[in-house]
Amino acid sequence: MTSLTSDLKQSRRSFLKASAMGSGGLMMSIALPGCATLKNGGISQVGETEQWNSNAWLRIDSDNTVHFVLDRVEMGQGTYTGMTSLLAEELEVDPEKVQVSFAGVDSIYRNTIYGIQITGGSTSVASSWTVVREAGAATRIMLIQAAANAWGIKESECSAENGVVINKSSGHKQFNQQISFGQLAAIAATYSVPSDIPLKDKADFKIIGKYNKRLDALKKATGTADYGIDTELPGMKYAVFTRAGRWDSQIKSFDASKVKTMPGIEQVFAVNNASAIGIAIVAKTYWQARKAQQQLVVEWHESELDNVDDASIFAQYKKDLAEDSGKNVRSEGDIDQALENAAQTITAEYEMPFLAHSTLEPQNCVAWAKEDGLEIWVPTQSPDMAQVAAAKATSYALSDVKINTTFIGGGFGRRINQDYVAEAAAISEISQQPIKLIWSREEDTQRDWYRPSSYHKLSASVDKNGDISGWNHQMAGSGVFDYFVADAAPAQYPFMPKFMYGLLESAGKMGEGIIAPADGSIYEGAEAIPYDFANINVDYKKSDSGILVGNWRSVGYSHNGFITESFIDQLAAQQKKEPYAFRYDLLKNHPRAQAVLKLAADKANWGTPLAGCTQGIAIHKSFGTWVAEVADVEVVNNSLKVKRVVCAVDCGQVVNPDMVVAQMEGGINFALTAALYGEINIKNGIPQQTNFHDSQLLRMNEAPQIDVHIIDSDESPTGVGEPGVPPLAAAVANAITTKTGQRFYKLPLKLDV
Amino acid sequence: MIKLTVNGIEHSLDVEADTPLLWVVRDYLDLKGSKFGCGAGLCGACTMHLNGSPIRTCITPVSAVNGQAITTIEGIGTPEKLSTVQQAWVEHNVPQCGYCQSGQIMSATALLASNPKPNDQDIDNAMSGNICRCGTYPRIKAAIHTAANNLSGTANTQNDLFTNIMEAK
Repeated sequence: MTSLTSDLKQSRRSFLKASAMGSGGLMMSIALPGCATLKNGGISQVGETEQWNSNAWLRIDSDNTVHFVLDRVEMGQGTYTGMTSLLAEELEVDPEKVQVSFAGVDSIYRNTIYGIQITGGSTSVASSWTVVREAGAATRIMLIQAAANAWGIKESECSAENGVVINKSSGHKQFNQQISFGQLAAIAATYSVPSDIPLKDKADFKIIGKYNKRLDALKKATGTADYGIDTELPGMKYAVFTRAGRWDSQIKSFDASKVKTMPGIEQVFAVNNASAIGIAIVAKTYWQARKAQQQLVVEWHESELDNVDDASIFAQYKKDLAEDSGKNVRSEGDIDQALENAAQTITAEYEMPFLAHSTLEPQNCVAWAKEDGLEIWVPTQSPDMAQVAAAKATSYALSDVKINTTFIGGGFGRRINQDYVAEAAAISEISQQPIKLIWSREEDTQRDWYRPSSYHKLSASVDKNGDISGWNHQMAGSGVFDYFVADAAPAQYPFMPKFMYGLLESAGKMGEGIIAPADGSIYEGAEAIPYDFANINVDYKKSDSGILVGNWRSVGYSHNGFITESFIDQLAAQQKKEPYAFRYDLLKNHPRAQAVLKLAADKANWGTPLAGCTQGIAIHKSFGTWVAEVADVEVVNNSLKVKRVVCAVDCGQVVNPDMVVAQMEGGINFALTAALYGEINIKNGIPQQTNFHDSQLLRMNEAPQIDVHIIDSDESPTGVGEPGVPPLAAAVANAITTKTGQRFYKLPLKLDV
Repeated sequence: MIKLTVNGIEHSLDVEADTPLLWVVRDYLDLKGSKFGCGAGLCGACTMHLNGSPIRTCITPVSAVNGQAITTIEGIGTPEKLSTVQQAWVEHNVPQCGYCQSGQIMSATALLASNPKPNDQDIDNAMSGNICRCGTYPRIKAAIHTAANNLSGTANTQNDLFTNIMEAK
């Protein structure tokens, strides 16, 4: 690398003089016109280093390090690599050289699809596709402008690559010399963000669609990635929290006399606020707290859930749906007439279970209540909702709560609900010291915000010509929106005082589908049934079970992928048609779906199963992405083994091909756990499963071979974290039906004996 | 007093005898690479080696390993000096959330130390105690085969599998 040119030194000196810079920590506030989202944050001096915050996502230091603020959490789905790749593509740097840090709470980091700072819905690349590339491109343009001015050449005579700007003005005395981004940062910091930020054409991509490394793999293979549970603070103590079996029970009384005599125990106290009810034990070490918890005696008040169990919940769903079909979410043609005129009607009823997230890192949170504020370190999918939850559970104002996020040991939607943050915040404030709250696996399984259970009734009409003329799908279950709006609504309005939060929650509930996105957590995927029937009707009746529910990887699609793709196989059988061809013909209005279905079938040698196996096929669109899967399944002696799953996916433009493959592999194995084992049973209002012996997760000896094939596409990118999940259970179930004739109307799959 | 040799370094610790080894290593020795997953020996996130064999440290009282040699993920290698298994993990982009991977690598390393050429069945047998909720199993299997290939023929398998064990004093 060449040294600075004298021209550059000159312009730099005059800038330094003009800005009177040089003292430690000085932050220049530069408000210059330009792109509305990207604001030049100016230069600050930290020690010997000058740091240019070129916008909210990007900082370039005089030592030529590039810092990227990642505002979508990394929980395995690959934002750490994917989003960094988007930035690096436009900035012209090596992704591996970018230092990635996790964003705090700021409205600029909100997910544009949801209006809060949330990582979910497989939206990270789709929602940040433009803004992160613009953040990189605008900065590159400003750096080139700085170099061009220093050399006295045109910007078009400069080229940026690999962290430097190169002089391409042939004949110029510094022709082919280069200046690093770090050397240019102080000059570029004085410029306005350009109002026009052209982005690269696909043909010019060097990283997007090609880069195949995983940037966090090294840390994660060496035990050096810091998760929430690894947070350490000086003087930190450990807390465990005893909750009621039924989430809504209030404390009647507790006896901690034996607890207090145990070694290491510092404090035992009750916490009782809107989002955290229980008894906290604070000790010097985790094990001391956990062991002492066995000596705690708590009596709980009766609860509205005392008599609630699986049977009563499904009876309620059926009764509610029979009385009122609820909200119509799809209507084409005249389903009533189609059913009335039918020569034959095919019906089926499906019951879907509650499902636990079972993130391998149990819920945990470190909180430090200080005089001037509350600081939190937490693996969360929603930092701004965590801020609300912490403020609500304590006396701190929202603006005095600082959230730090970490690597996350699995999210799958669980960490959108912030109960563990509320608990830790309240415990630290009462304890008046920094504490780390760690949930046991049993607590994590029994106090989850489960994938809602639901009841579905489907009927199809066959007309007098023998053709399918109508599709009717009616369903009932809890909506998950009701269970996170209490934290989500205030997160959208951070300037509102805390006493308004109750009103915001009510307004959010009433505004569901109007000012807030519609809650499709039971019907999504069902209402978008892609098959070409003349009469289609889909209704959803909200019927609240009272059990805590939340977003679970692929949410409503998780059950509707199974239901619609099981029922369509049943219709194919009735029509005496081959399941692949039956689907393909009915998808004639969806060429992308047809291409995905065909690719999966071709790659799986559809019609020629692996030795000893039968095949099943399913296709489902979720989060904008089409996925088709073919399962080869062996059934021997009343046990089933999924030997291979072939998957085809169309997620538009791919950022990192191997990451797409990994997410499909992961989604398939996640879904296979649900297909084979997944259920949380409720008895007397209490979730019954506790740990991995009675809530089993897929293990290596059960994991199938997985082959993933990606459709090459120029369309805008869509999600990949969740869409691998929905088709899997139906593909497996359909393969078993082909072998044994048994059809499945419930999950997990249980073979008739 | 409990005495432990962890990654070749001796420690004397004043700790209650029934404290699980996992919490001693994480919170007394501040080695955070080993993870807590289930507390019941069911998931393998806490796997370490006791005298070379993989054990579930969330259910192992520290008194049961008094005076013995423990290896943790930190002893396997560092970002600057990866073991053969860790290199294969990076090459195959194995981790997703990554939380289970320390335990997976401990089990895989123990397997290769005793069986340098495992077949798929051997791998299933050795690895089925380690849960990966993200479902990275196909890549774990592929990475173990790659590591086995890279080990074959090397003069000192132990040194390739463990790059960060201090010389025991």
